[in-house]
Amino acid sequence: MPRLTIDAKTVEVATGTTILQAARSIGIEIPTLCFADGLEPATSCMLCVVKIAGEKGLVPACAAQVVDGMDVITDDQELRQARQVALELLLSDHIGDCMAPCQLACPAHMEIPAMIRAIANGDLDEAIRIVRSAIAMPAVVGRICQAPCQKACRRGKVDAPLAIRLLERLVADLDLQRGDRYTPKVSVCPRPNQVAVVGAGPAGLAAAYYLAQAGIKVTIFDQQPLPGGGLRYGLAGQALPEQVLDAEIASILKLGPVFKMGLQLGRDLSLEQLRSSFDAVLLAIGASAKDQAAGLGLSAGKDGLVADKQTSQTELAGVFVAGDALRPRRMAIRSLAEGRYAAACIQQYLEGKPIEGIRLPFNCHMGQIDPDVLTQMMALASKAAQVRPSDGQAGLSWDQGQQEAARCLHCDCRKAQTCRLRHYAELYKADQLGFKGSKRAFALILEHPELVYEPGKCINCGICVRITRACGERYGLTFVGRGFDMKVAVPFGRPLGQGLEACVGRCVEACPTGALAWRKG
Amino acid sequence: MGQVDLAIVDQMVCRIGADQHKLLELLHAVQEHFGYLPTEALERLCQLTRISPAEIWGVASFYDRFRRVPAGRHTVHVCVGTACHVKGGELVYEAFRRYLGIPEGRDTDQKMQFTVMKVACLGCCTLAPAVQIDGITYGHLTSESVGQVIEDFLQRKAAGRAEPAKGQRTAGEAKAEIRIGLGSCCQARGSARLKQALEQVLGRYGLDVPIKMVGCVGMCHQTPLLELIVAGKSFLYARVQPQDVEEIVSRHLRLPGRRARLLASIAGRLERMVAGPPNGHGRADLLDREDRLVKDFLANQIRITTECSGQIDPLDIDEYVNAGGFAGLQRCLQALSPEDVIEQIRISGLRGRGGAGFPTHAKWSAVRSQPGTPKYVICNGDEGDPGAFMDRMLMESYPFRIIEGLAIAAWCVGADEGFFYIRAEYPLALQRIQRAIDICTQRGYLGDSIMGTGFRLRLRIIPGAGAFVCGEETAMIASIEGRRGHPRFRPPYPAQHGLWGRPTLINNVETLATVPWIVRNGGQAYAAIGTQSSKGTKVFALAGKVARGGLIEVPMGIRIRQIVEQIGGGCAEGRRFKAVQVGGPSGGCIPEQMDWLPVDYETLTQAGAMMGSGGFVVLDEGDCMVDMARYFLQFTQNQSCGKCTFCRIGTRRMLEILDAICQGQGKEQDLQQLQSLAEMVQKASLCGLGKTAPKPVLTSLRYFRSEYLAHLEGRCPAGRCRALIRYVITERCIGCTLCAQHCPSGAIAWTPYQVHQIDQTKCIRCGTCKAVCPSDAVRIQ
Repeated sequence: MPRLTIDAKTVEVATGTTILQAARSIGIEIPTLCFADGLEPATSCMLCVVKIAGEKGLVPACAAQVVDGMDVITDDQELRQARQVALELLLSDHIGDCMAPCQLACPAHMEIPAMIRAIANGDLDEAIRIVRSAIAMPAVVGRICQAPCQKACRRGKVDAPLAIRLLERLVADLDLQRGDRYTPKVSVCPRPNQVAVVGAGPAGLAAAYYLAQAGIKVTIFDQQPLPGGGLRYGLAGQALPEQVLDAEIASILKLGPVFKMGLQLGRDLSLEQLRSSFDAVLLAIGASAKDQAAGLGLSAGKDGLVADKQTSQTELAGVFVAGDALRPRRMAIRSLAEGRYAAACIQQYLEGKPIEGIRLPFNCHMGQIDPDVLTQMMALASKAAQVRPSDGQAGLSWDQGQQEAARCLHCDCRKAQTCRLRHYAELYKADQLGFKGSKRAFALILEHPELVYEPGKCINCGICVRITRACGERYGLTFVGRGFDMKVAVPFGRPLGQGLEACVGRCVEACPTGALAWRKG
Repeated sequence: MGQVDLAIVDQMVCRIGADQHKLLELLHAVQEHFGYLPTEALERLCQLTRISPAEIWGVASFYDRFRRVPAGRHTVHVCVGTACHVKGGELVYEAFRRYLGIPEGRDTDQKMQFTVMKVACLGCCTLAPAVQIDGITYGHLTSESVGQVIEDFLQRKAAGRAEPAKGQRTAGEAKAEIRIGLGSCCQARGSARLKQALEQVLGRYGLDVPIKMVGCVGMCHQTPLLELIVAGKSFLYARVQPQDVEEIVSRHLRLPGRRARLLASIAGRLERMVAGPPNGHGRADLLDREDRLVKDFLANQIRITTECSGQIDPLDIDEYVNAGGFAGLQRCLQALSPEDVIEQIRISGLRGRGGAGFPTHAKWSAVRSQPGTPKYVICNGDEGDPGAFMDRMLMESYPFRIIEGLAIAAWCVGADEGFFYIRAEYPLALQRIQRAIDICTQRGYLGDSIMGTGFRLRLRIIPGAGAFVCGEETAMIASIEGRRGHPRFRPPYPAQHGLWGRPTLINNVETLATVPWIVRNGGQAYAAIGTQSSKGTKVFALAGKVARGGLIEVPMGIRIRQIVEQIGGGCAEGRRFKAVQVGGPSGGCIPEQMDWLPVDYETLTQAGAMMGSGGFVVLDEGDCMVDMARYFLQFTQNQSCGKCTFCRIGTRRMLEILDAICQGQGKEQDLQQLQSLAEMVQKASLCGLGKTAPKPVLTSLRYFRSEYLAHLEGRCPAGRCRALIRYVITERCIGCTLCAQHCPSGAIAWTPYQVHQIDQTKCIRCGTCKAVCPSDAVRIQ
C-alpha cells in the first residue's frame, strides 16, 4: 500500500486511490466542482489542483493517483490563487443572478423572493420569519417605504413590478392580527453585556430588536415621551396609523429592551456617563447629531457623525452610529437596516471578534438584460396585471397577495443556497468581474415538467453527462460542440424530458450550480 | 428539404461495422454521401449500432470536418495556417466570401454551390496563401485571383476530372528516366498536367523513356520539379509548365533525326534559378546542382529520414527495397532481439519528433515491459500545427519507410495491431499510406507471417476529422475508440493504459520514419550527428517570408541563422529578417538577435519556444508580433477541446485581451492580466495543448514587449493590425484607376488621370489597391 504525505500528514491508502480520496480519508477537503463519488473523474473544473513535490505544474487531485513516497501540498498561496483564477474564469462565463435585484436594492437586503414564494405557498409563518429576520418593523415599512425594491424588480420591465411593499405589509399585518404572533428566537444564553441605545427612532429600535435577540440587555434613551422617533413625530399626516407603530414597538419590547424616555443626550445624560455604565453605546439620535457632535466630543462630517463605514464605530471605542445621525436620508427602511447592521457590529465588538458587520454573500450579477431574457423569464410567471388594493389606504387580501406572488419571475437562483460555485467563490474571494469577455447566452429551458435547465449557468463539469451514461438513460445528456462553445444537451436536439427519464433527481442534486434545478426552487 | 434516404445508412453500417470505434468512419461515410450529417441519418445509426445517442451526437459535433447543416456542392477550404496567415490568408478568405456573395453568418452561397471554410493548415506552406477546392489545391492566391481560381475550378470540373492516370511504371533499369514531383506542393502546381504533356511529347516522338513519379524533393519553392536522368547525369528543372516540356525533352534526349539540334541545345544556355516569386518569364529553369544557391539549399542538409529524397517512387516497393528498404525489419526479425533493437534506439539518442522530445527507447521499453496481450502501436500522423508539413511530406513520399518503422516498433513492444491516425486534410497521404499498406500486405511485409517469420501485424488507417487536440496521445486514443477527442490526465500513460485500456505505443511519423535507418546503420551512426542531448537530424518545414521555402532535414545543433540564411536564402524580396516562429502554436518566436542559437530541444525550450513538430516560419519586418501571438492563440483557443476550465475559458479570455490590443483598445493593466493569466493557463491546464498554448504569447511579451506598448498607444509598427492602419495614395499615383476598378468595397473614386483617394469610411483594408498599383503609390500609415 502506498504511503504518502499530504500537507505533512502521513497516510497509507490502497493502490489506485486518488489524491483527493486520500486527502479526504484524513479529513483534508480539497475543493472540487466536477468530482462526484462513484463517477470517473472529469478533470474539468480544475479547482482540485494540488502540488506534488518535485513536479512542476499543478496536478488535478481528483484524477491523480497516489504513488508511494509522494509529498502533496493541497493549500498554499499559489494554489489558492490558481483556484481563484479558475473560479473567476468560470464566473466570467456564468450567466445568472444569485440574488434577485429586489433583494439587492432593498437597504435591508430582505430575502424578498423567498417571502414571495412563501406567500405563494400559503406559508405565513415562513413569510413573516423571512421578513422579520431583516426588517424589525415590517408593518410600518409596508406602509411608508419608498420601495427601491420595486424599482429594481425585473417584472417592472415587462408590465409593472411586483407589489412588494404591499406584500410585506400583508404578511406583517396578518401576523399582528393573529393571536399567536411571530416571536423571533432569543438566545437562551443571556450575555452579561449592557448596551445603551440613544434614540428610539427606527435605527435605534431595530438595533435593540436584534441585540435583544442575541441575548444582550438593551436600554433605549430618548428625549421624547414616546418611542418611535421620526416615525411618530416626523411623518405629519402620513399613512401610518399610530396603533400600527405601537404594535410593532410592542413586539420589540417583548424581547426585553427597556425604555428610558424624556432623557436628552447632552442635557440629562453625557456620553461619558453612558460609556462608563454600558459596554457599548449606539447613537441613533437622528439628523440633529451633526450639530451635537462637538458637545459629544465626536467629529462631524458634511452629513453627520463620522464613523467607519464597515464597523459603524466612531473614533471613540465602543461608540457606534446608525441612521440619520450618519446621513440624513429620512428613509425608514435605511435606518432600520443600519440599526440592524450596527447591532451586528456591536455584537462582534462585544465578542472581541473583528468587526465586519453583515457581509452580503457572494453574488453573481447579470446586470442589464435583453427583452428576450424577460420573455423567457415570463414563461413560468402569472401573466396577470399587478393587483391593486380596493382603496388607497387598504392593504391586500391574502388571496390578492397569493395572486400577486404568482407574478414573480423567480429571477433569483433556485440553488442560491446550495450552489457550490457560489460557495467556493465566497471562500476563495473570487471576483465575478475578474475577467470580462464574451459569455454564453441566457436561456431557460422548460422542456421537462419538473425542471428548469439554465445552460447559462452550466460550468461544463459533466456530472450530469456521466450520471446519465452510468444509469443507462435512453438518450441521456452529452457534450455538444467543442471548446468555449461546448454545451450540455440532449442528443439529436430532443427535449430535456427525453434525456432525463430515469435519473432526473440524481442529476439535479449533483449539479453543482443552478443549471439543473427543480422548478419549485 | 427532401427525405433522407436511410437505406444508404444501413448499407454503410453493413460495410463498415457497428462498433463504437467505427463511429468516425461511419460519420465520414454519412457526410461523404449527404454532404453533411442529417439528424435522421444519425438516429438511424443509433438504431443500427451499439453506439449510444450521447456518443453519436457528442462526436458528430466535436470535429470540424463534420457538418450539421447542408453544404454547397463544392467546398473551398481556405488555409489560414501560419505561412498563409503571414501572407494574407484571411484576406483571401474574405475575398472568396465577397466573390461568391456569401451572406454574413453563413458559409455557403445562396445557390448552394460553394461552401467556404477556413482550415487550420493544409500543409502546403510554400504555396501560401493556399486553398483546396474539393481536393484540388491552388497556391499563391491573392484577393485578386480568387475569381480566376473559381473559374478555373469550374472549367476543370466541366472538363471532367483532370486527375492523372495511374503512373505507368517501367520496371528494370533504364538508361534515361524522367522524374516528376508527386508531393502535394508539386501537384498543386500542376505536376499532373505536366505528366500528361510529357506523355504526349514522348508518344509523339516514339520515345520509350520511363516517367517516374517521385516523392518530395523538399524544394517546394520551385515546384513543379522535373528531373531528367540521362546517362547517369541529372538535369533538374524547376517551375516547369506543360509548354516547356517539348523543349526540355528535345534538349536532352535523342530525338530521331534531330540529333544535331539536340547537341547544340545541351551545349546551349542553362537557365539559372531565380530565387523569389513564381516564375514569371514563362520558361522553366534548369537548376544546376552545382549552382551555389542549390548547393546551399542542399549542402547543409543530411538525408536520413528523407533518404532517397526525390529519387524513388513513393509506391514502388521494389525501389524501396533496392534502396535498402525493409533491410532493417529483416535484420530485426532474423538477427536481433527486441532488447537489442531498443538498445540501439537508446544508443542513437532518438527522441520523439512530435514535439516534447521524450526518449523513444524509454517509451518502447515501457510498452514492452507491460504484461499480457493485446498491445497496440499507433503512428501519429495528425500533424495539425499550422505551418508544419513534414509529416504530410513523409507520408506522401516514404510510406513504406514509415510502415517499416512502425513494424519494427510493433515487433519490439509485442504488438500485433497498429493504427495510422492521419488528418483528413491530407488526402494524398491517406491514399498513399493505404496503398502502401495494401502492397506490403500482398508482399508479406505486413500480415500474418511477416517475411515468413510468424511475426504478425495488421495496420489500419483512422482518418482524423479535424481536431488539433487529437494529436495529444490520450485524445488520439479516445478518437480512435470513436469518442470525442478529450484528453485525460496522465499518468497512467498509454504505455500502461492506452487503446481500450491496453498498453499502447504512440510515435510520431517522423520518429518512425527514422527508425529503419538507425536499425540498418546502428545507433552509433545516428548519435554521431547532432548535439549532446539532441541527436541526429530534424526535419523542418521551412516557410514564411523566406526566399527558398521547403522541406529540409538538418543536423540537430544547426544554428537558426544557418537555416534562415544559407538554406532559406534569407528573407524574400530583400526585407529584414525579424524572427522565426518555431514549434507552431506550442512554440514561440525567437528574435533575430538570437539567431545564433543552436536548434536542439533544450535550447529552444529555454528560449521559450519548443521544437514542436517542426514548423519553422520565418517572419520579417512586415510581421506584427502581437498579431502573431493573437493568431496562434486564436488557433489553440479554437481547437481547445473544452474539457478543463483553464484552457476552455482561459485561452478565450487571453484572446479577447489580445484582440483588444490589436484593435488599439488595450490598456496597461491588460498586459499584466495577460501575462499572469498566461502563466496560470500554462501551469494548470490539463493537457499539452493548454499547457503550451500560452507560449507564443509569453515569448512575444518577453522579446517584443515594445510592440505591445506601441499598440497600447494605438500604433502597429509593422503596419499589420487592420484597426490601426490606413491605406493612403501618394503623389506617385498616375491616375490609372486600376485600384478603383479592383477595390471590392468601392472606396476609391473613379477619377482618371488624377491622384486617387481612398474613402476611409468605406475602406475594408484588404490591400487590393496596394497589390494592383503599378506605380507603388499606395502606402500603409
